[in-house]
Amino acid sequence: MKIVLNRPRCEGHGLCEEAAPQLMHLDDEGELVLDREEFDAADAALAHAAVRVCPVAALRIA
Amino acid sequence: MPSIHLFDARPDISLWGMSTPPTFDVDLFADEVVLDPYPVYAELRERGPVVHLPHNDVYALTRYDVIRGALADWEAFSSASIAFNPMANEALAGTSLASDPPVHTQLRATLAENLSPRALRGLKGSITAKADVLVAELVEKGSFEAIDALARAFPLEVVADLIGFTGEVRATMLRWGQAAMQVLGPTNQRTAENFPVAGELYAWCSQVTADDLAEGSVGRGIFDAEARGAIPPDTAGHIIHQYLGAGVDTTVAAIGNLVALFAHHPDQLALVRESPALVPAAFNEVLRFWAPVHAWGRRVTRDVTIEGSEIPAGAQVAILFGAGNRDPRHYENPDTFLVERNPVDHLSFGYGPHGCAGQGLARLEAHAVIEALSRRVGRLVVGPEVRVPGNTTRSIEELPVLEVFPA
Repeated sequence: MKIVLNRPRCEGHGLCEEAAPQLMHLDDEGELVLDREEFDAADAALAHAAVRVCPVAALRIA
Repeated sequence: MPSIHLFDARPDISLWGMSTPPTFDVDLFADEVVLDPYPVYAELRERGPVVHLPHNDVYALTRYDVIRGALADWEAFSSASIAFNPMANEALAGTSLASDPPVHTQLRATLAENLSPRALRGLKGSITAKADVLVAELVEKGSFEAIDALARAFPLEVVADLIGFTGEVRATMLRWGQAAMQVLGPTNQRTAENFPVAGELYAWCSQVTADDLAEGSVGRGIFDAEARGAIPPDTAGHIIHQYLGAGVDTTVAAIGNLVALFAHHPDQLALVRESPALVPAAFNEVLRFWAPVHAWGRRVTRDVTIEGSEIPAGAQVAILFGAGNRDPRHYENPDTFLVERNPVDHLSFGYGPHGCAGQGLARLEAHAVIEALSRRVGRLVVGPEVRVPGNTTRSIEELPVLEVFPA
């Protein structure tokens, strides 16, 4: 399973990082970095939580 | 995702179970409804996820899942009709608020360039300091009118400094911001009375130039960006219009609400004081508990079927954020204010491509106020809160703080 970022739509609200800091973070410029795009079953709940909280629907699971 | 199949519009769906939605006889914008919409929201949610309101000729979306689904689905739920009267929709045509992709995508990016958390990340320190100074002064005074002295004063100061407003314009910001939200209502007396005031804001934004704004302000920066071609010509005034039209009245409402809720629930304020990490969760709960925006429009572009009920193509939809936020199908014990709940998926900022563009700024402001209040105030003794009816923003007009017990 994979997290897919719609880069132009991301505005750096950072709620995904709060939900899943193990998988992603905002860099010093406020740009989202996916540290682990591919995730396994153990991290599925985290990944889904991050996707769920994005206020502008810039993340999805593929 | 459940939201996908909620809006299944395959023609064959008409072969089974499709029906007209339940109806309810209420004026969604009547004084008594907008003053306290929560009993009506509960009644509507019970009738169905979509309820036709013949009085307003709208289809109200009432439950959490269908509201979030509709907000995500810009193809079926167009923003061409966010207001409930044609004049306001016409006036908003061409703004990011009222457009759909692909036009919306470019307009939104231009707006976000100056308003996203990324753009505002340098402001946290000064906003936090401003809130702390203001709250410290009020605690020292011991009694004050919280809406004027805090809920209005603080966002007006922040936005005025951000845009670089000076002098007289600053004094009229509040009036303009209120009017811009009122005129989104149906063709009623409030809408009619506010059109001339909203027009003043529009006219001012059409002729404002870089020289009118303080040097070094974000507002000045927007004009600089236009001058060097980084954003399309003639968009700077529109962006200023959105800061004022969409960002002032709603933030004033949210901050007034948080003061009132913490006054009513000193135990919840104590929880935040004991665990300052709860500040963002507390703001999410304030927004969930009392949504600043009552109803927001969409127009369906085709026949849309929601759990068996059909909304006909072209119909006006009313999204009731506050009804979704209190949906017991989504939130346990929804009528209780609990800062530890952290409802990070509340609907008060909308969701998806049109999710509130200023939510990053709203969070900076509200978090700063909650931080300062929780640190400095043990308990607020308040008198009765006064509300006046409004078409769009639901806010407190007056909230007398009679006594402050410091933390």
